[in-house]
Amino acid sequence: MLASFSISQLSSPKSAEIHLRLGSNKSIYRRTRSIAVRCSERKKNYYELLGVSTDSSSQEIKDAYRKQQKIHHPDIAGEKGHENTIKLNKACEVLMKEDLRREYDASIGLMRLGATSSWKGPLRPEAIFVDENACIGCRECVHHAGNTFTMDEAVGTARVKLQYGDDDTQIEISVDSCPVNCIYWVDTKELEVLEYLIRPQPKEGYGVFGQGWERPANVFMAAKSFNKQFKRKVENQKRNARPTDKE
Amino acid sequence: MAEQAYTVASDSETTGEERSSSTVPEIAIGIDIGTSQCSVAVWSGSQVELLRNTRNQKLMKSYVTFKDEVPAGGVSNQLAHEYEMLSGAAIFNMKRLIGRVDTDPVVHASKSLPFLVQTLDIGVRPFIAALVKNMWRSTTPEEVLAIFLVELRVMAEMQLKRPIRNVVLTIPVSFSRFQLTRIERACAMAGLHVLRLMPEPTAVALLYAQQQQQNVHENMGSGSEKIALIFNMGAGFCDTAITATAGGVSQIRSLAGSTLGGEDILQNTMRHLIPNMDSYFSRHGINEIEKMGLLRVATQDAIHKLSTQPSVEIDVDLGNGRKIYKVLNRKEFEEVNQNVFEKCASLINQCLSDAKIEVADVNDVILVGGCSNIPMIRNMVTGICKKDVYSGMNPLEAAVRGAALEGAVASGVNDPFGSLDLLTIQTTPLSIGIRADGNNLVPVIPKNTTMPARKDVFFTTVHDNQAEALIIVYEGDEEAVEKNHLLGYFKIMGIPPASKGVPEINVCMDIDASNSLRVFAGVIMPGEQNPSAPFMEIRMPTVDDGHGWCAEALNRTYGSTLDLVTVQKKVQH
Repeated sequence: MLASFSISQLSSPKSAEIHLRLGSNKSIYRRTRSIAVRCSERKKNYYELLGVSTDSSSQEIKDAYRKQQKIHHPDIAGEKGHENTIKLNKACEVLMKEDLRREYDASIGLMRLGATSSWKGPLRPEAIFVDENACIGCRECVHHAGNTFTMDEAVGTARVKLQYGDDDTQIEISVDSCPVNCIYWVDTKELEVLEYLIRPQPKEGYGVFGQGWERPANVFMAAKSFNKQFKRKVENQKRNARPTDKE
Repeated sequence: MAEQAYTVASDSETTGEERSSSTVPEIAIGIDIGTSQCSVAVWSGSQVELLRNTRNQKLMKSYVTFKDEVPAGGVSNQLAHEYEMLSGAAIFNMKRLIGRVDTDPVVHASKSLPFLVQTLDIGVRPFIAALVKNMWRSTTPEEVLAIFLVELRVMAEMQLKRPIRNVVLTIPVSFSRFQLTRIERACAMAGLHVLRLMPEPTAVALLYAQQQQQNVHENMGSGSEKIALIFNMGAGFCDTAITATAGGVSQIRSLAGSTLGGEDILQNTMRHLIPNMDSYFSRHGINEIEKMGLLRVATQDAIHKLSTQPSVEIDVDLGNGRKIYKVLNRKEFEEVNQNVFEKCASLINQCLSDAKIEVADVNDVILVGGCSNIPMIRNMVTGICKKDVYSGMNPLEAAVRGAALEGAVASGVNDPFGSLDLLTIQTTPLSIGIRADGNNLVPVIPKNTTMPARKDVFFTTVHDNQAEALIIVYEGDEEAVEKNHLLGYFKIMGIPPASKGVPEINVCMDIDASNSLRVFAGVIMPGEQNPSAPFMEIRMPTVDDGHGWCAEALNRTYGSTLDLVTVQKKVQH
């Protein structure tokens, strides 16, 4: 395997353990700056860098990119903006391309809407769902029904990629083979909510505390309360809508 | 900052200029050195103003006359008649000649100019000379440009009553990095520091961004993204750009350019009038120069008139009983220059496809430059874009105004009314890469990459126990490596003994906002965290004149012994 070293990463903290400095600080050129190794800040992911949510549209990303550029671009911030602008350019380049963005999302352990399962054949009343909180990543299910289940290598859990991707007996075997019984037959109507909730969501931080990604500890309870809230919201909307109708 | 190392001597320069001790940041001025005309603009505190010379001209002819001991340029000098510029004593079109070797077709096309352009066709700089007292006196394009820039600088210093040092220059898209170093050299000779070099259409794009921003403020119009196509054709070059503008930020999506301009149209037309023009004038005697001047002026006039009238009468007496009389109509003129217009159209189409923009998505079509008046150019551009031309700009002043805006923004000037709440995000007009995988150019920074940029590619050795590797850096988009511009070369040494394909050679390129390129390279053995030998950092371009030979010599000396191939490696974030 090739060593994972590249000069372009030198300024990122990931390579902070590499004790290397390129170029001389006492260079005679007026525009030369050293590519110093910095290890102070935690590496921000591209979404944090641009200050957008993980489900933001490409328009929102573009707007955020422009806003950030107006702060960091070397024309405005001077030479110190060089490194930041390079990071912004990289972030924008990746997030604006659907395939690169999906790849990146997977690499930071994030699943977007594209990560929900699709169906082989017609919809059935029951769907298969993996509770990724319980999954231990044993790969048994992928082994028995590789067209239905897949491993998310970034987070180390199994997930359904294609409902009924294999024939029913293979799926039965793989469900039975799960040592922690984390594969469930769920109501197809429930599936969308469950698959949404199992995805880690960014968590608001308070200063330096509590930032990160989280998902509900019990996804089925969370789905129940989500549905309840959703129903209430719909009813509220109806109630609010009625008076305006009369006017 | 008080280094005045290189200054071209000029009698008009007032020595001992009083240095104003203001604390406000020095606002860089914008200069548009066109192939035929030149202009200077500066942010005056509330808007961009064009500076005028003592004869109240905003646009000055770009030429330098070597009459007596002291050369005089088009800023200060008053021409008695246009023929005076064509007497052989004046050097012009220096932008078409700067940084080019004598095998370049553009240099060959310049041989029909009244001054002397001599080529030996071996890949060195051409010999350029002006006729002074019936003798050819040699000079260089850099020197001519520097003399002209000094005149501009003096003019600006007199009017702004402060020393001028920082400038933003507009440049053609198709200029190579080697040519840019020549431009920077000329500026240094004139005592100017280049703050930014802006491709001409991107300067226009910045002006457009400001106008859009003002529209939003005044009319409460929508601040949504607008796509503009900019087509700029002057005397020497033709450039296109696609820009996406929102909130005062102009983001360049793609650039394309070529050495195609009014000069080519003029020469095509002259050749149409005298088919054997090149042999007729090749002797470059005083008599021929005069006749050529007559023909040039008459043809130029005719082309200008054809923009407004359907046909024009050309009547030139070339002496020795040779007379040219012809009625040239617009259709004939357009047929003669068919190839120029076709190339312009392909440039626009290339720009659109590079930016992945459909014609229907273009909100505005901006047409600028001296050739924008030619009806055929207008029809061609509006025909492709299926849209009328944007009317909010003076086609001859747009580029210099944009340069002045960038000068103010990059100098850190703020405007309380938000007129300078602008930013231009530039892209690389050409790919930059190294020779690898045999005789191919492997791009490290592809073209139309957003600047500042930093990218790297991994390579590996092709021979067992290969101890050294040759890195040859090129700029361009031709697959065959020798068709691109050579920027420099160096060797990576001390590769530890290993089978071929094992050592990892990392080549990283970094371009900053002022467009300076640095190349880093080094070798890492698999499984190791530290490089085996110190990495190298090289500022490019490193080549000098006659660089066409260097690549050949390297090839002859080393063959493929120090070659590299690319490593397919997963992109890391």
